[in-house]
Amino acid sequence: MSSTRNRIAGYAFASPWLGGLVLLYLFPFAASLYWSFCRYDLINPPQWIGGENYTRLADEIATGTGFGQALANTAYYAAVGVPLSILLGITLAVLLSLPVRGQAIFRTLFFLPSVIPVVAASILWMWLLDPKEGIVNYGLASIGLGTPGWLQSSGDMFSTFWRTGTFAPGSKDALVLMSLWGVGNFMVIYLAALGDVPKSLYEAAQLDGAGAMRRFLHITLPMLTPIIFFNLVMGLIQSVQAFTQIYIVSEGRGSPAGSTMMISLQLFLSAFQHLDMGYASAVAWLLFVLLLVATLLLFRTSRRWVYYGG
Amino acid sequence: MKLNLAEKVLAYAALLLAAVLLAGPLAILFFSSLKTPAEIQSNPHALLPQIWRWENYGDAVTAMPFFLYLRNTLLICLGSVIGTVISCSMAAYAFSKLQWPGRNLLFGVLIGTMLLPWHVTMIPRFLLLREVGLYNTLGALIVPTFLGDAFSIFLLRQFFRTIPEDLSEAARIDGLGEWGIFWRIILPLSKPAVATVALFQFIAAWNDFSGPLLLLSDKRNFPLAYGLEQFVSSYSDQTHLLLAAATLFTLPIVILFFLTQRTFLKGIATTGLK
Repeated sequence: MSSTRNRIAGYAFASPWLGGLVLLYLFPFAASLYWSFCRYDLINPPQWIGGENYTRLADEIATGTGFGQALANTAYYAAVGVPLSILLGITLAVLLSLPVRGQAIFRTLFFLPSVIPVVAASILWMWLLDPKEGIVNYGLASIGLGTPGWLQSSGDMFSTFWRTGTFAPGSKDALVLMSLWGVGNFMVIYLAALGDVPKSLYEAAQLDGAGAMRRFLHITLPMLTPIIFFNLVMGLIQSVQAFTQIYIVSEGRGSPAGSTMMISLQLFLSAFQHLDMGYASAVAWLLFVLLLVATLLLFRTSRRWVYYGG
Repeated sequence: MKLNLAEKVLAYAALLLAAVLLAGPLAILFFSSLKTPAEIQSNPHALLPQIWRWENYGDAVTAMPFFLYLRNTLLICLGSVIGTVISCSMAAYAFSKLQWPGRNLLFGVLIGTMLLPWHVTMIPRFLLLREVGLYNTLGALIVPTFLGDAFSIFLLRQFFRTIPEDLSEAARIDGLGEWGIFWRIILPLSKPAVATVALFQFIAAWNDFSGPLLLLSDKRNFPLAYGLEQFVSSYSDQTHLLLAAATLFTLPIVILFFLTQRTFLKGIATTGLK
């Protein structure tokens, strides 16, 4: 008797979310898959065109235009930004776990940038990174690092260094820098994980004569691998999803010279500026599949390096 | 573990350097928003203004319909917090305290929706909201929150699970129905978790830019985040006003963060770790 009631109650309590699942996930999921095989401009009904949108995507990947360019830009943003966010997140968390006074204040200061609204943060960084007036270049110039173009330069740090041997971060590097400023979320998670490492492990290692570096490499780092993995997966997803800061710093155009045209922005413009819903849906689905494959690959490798002993 | 003096000095040096690099830009934002237009041009790199020009804030507020945008932002925040708290606490109750067929499968689906990129659902969602007449209304940003979101459901479920089952059992024996148990026992015991979810949703709604960009077209309905971006394109040469507007938009969130810091940081650690 009570179990039937429990059963009905279960569905009843979950019903708002179940409604959302159907309306906001299942229907959109199916519709966008169908539209990705259509020509659809919102005015005329969707018209089936088979795999045309996907062959166009394959062309664009081959030639590095359109989606190809967006994919390359997004890949750069993720490949540079995610490892740096792991490095910075761990470094800050380790600093915050050192036994000195005033850590609560430092923690607040380190985390604060993460709550700043993206719109405000973008306005601030556009000004700080201004090549001529910005304080960042003022600082760089004073230590002899020149005045890079940041958001106004289409080049990127690595290829410029490869070609000319100079340090000249460009628009994507600026976006990476902006994302690193908000690393506080991951930092807090690392910090919590550091607190969970049993003190006895460190004491035993110290008795065995292990120095600080060895303790970090052989105790701290392995204990952090589950969080590093979480950071890797979430960081990848977040880099691909980033939109607001890219839209604002590039005035919604991916400027300069398409160097900040990332998949999110390209998809948004295809759909709502060119009213090419079919092509945009194909972009979304290809992105989804690529992301799924990347995540699954990460999960596969995780067995080899993620330590779930705790 | 104790540090010796040299290690302590090194630790403080590193902490201070990181603090300057991370919090410095915010100090620069705040102090520069008080500089005169002339000083921003002539002396952009000094931290403190020579003349503290508080009128920048007044000018920024009158240069755009600030209070209209603020009203819209607050309505969206309020509506979406109510929607999120109701729908998500109900779903969390179903996922933590009730047994029903398909529960575990659907919980897997719930987690899956957290990893799903928004790109795949964006266009049909937009058309759906337009179809039901919500396009260009604040409702477009509020109504969907009454249908739950995975992150908040997950956070609440983790908390509900820690409430002993005996309490629910005792209430059942006393003749309380499931709604009564949820409303009179579980929810009052879960105030910290509900507060966390409300806080996160409030900040998300306050900061949201892509939602309004997609779903609002009429200036009268713009929230601050979107109005501020519009402001950038029209006042790009008036840095002092831009910085003042950005400061005004940011300040409430910073104050809210200071007031709720513990709830905030704990919420992040919970959803990341457990």
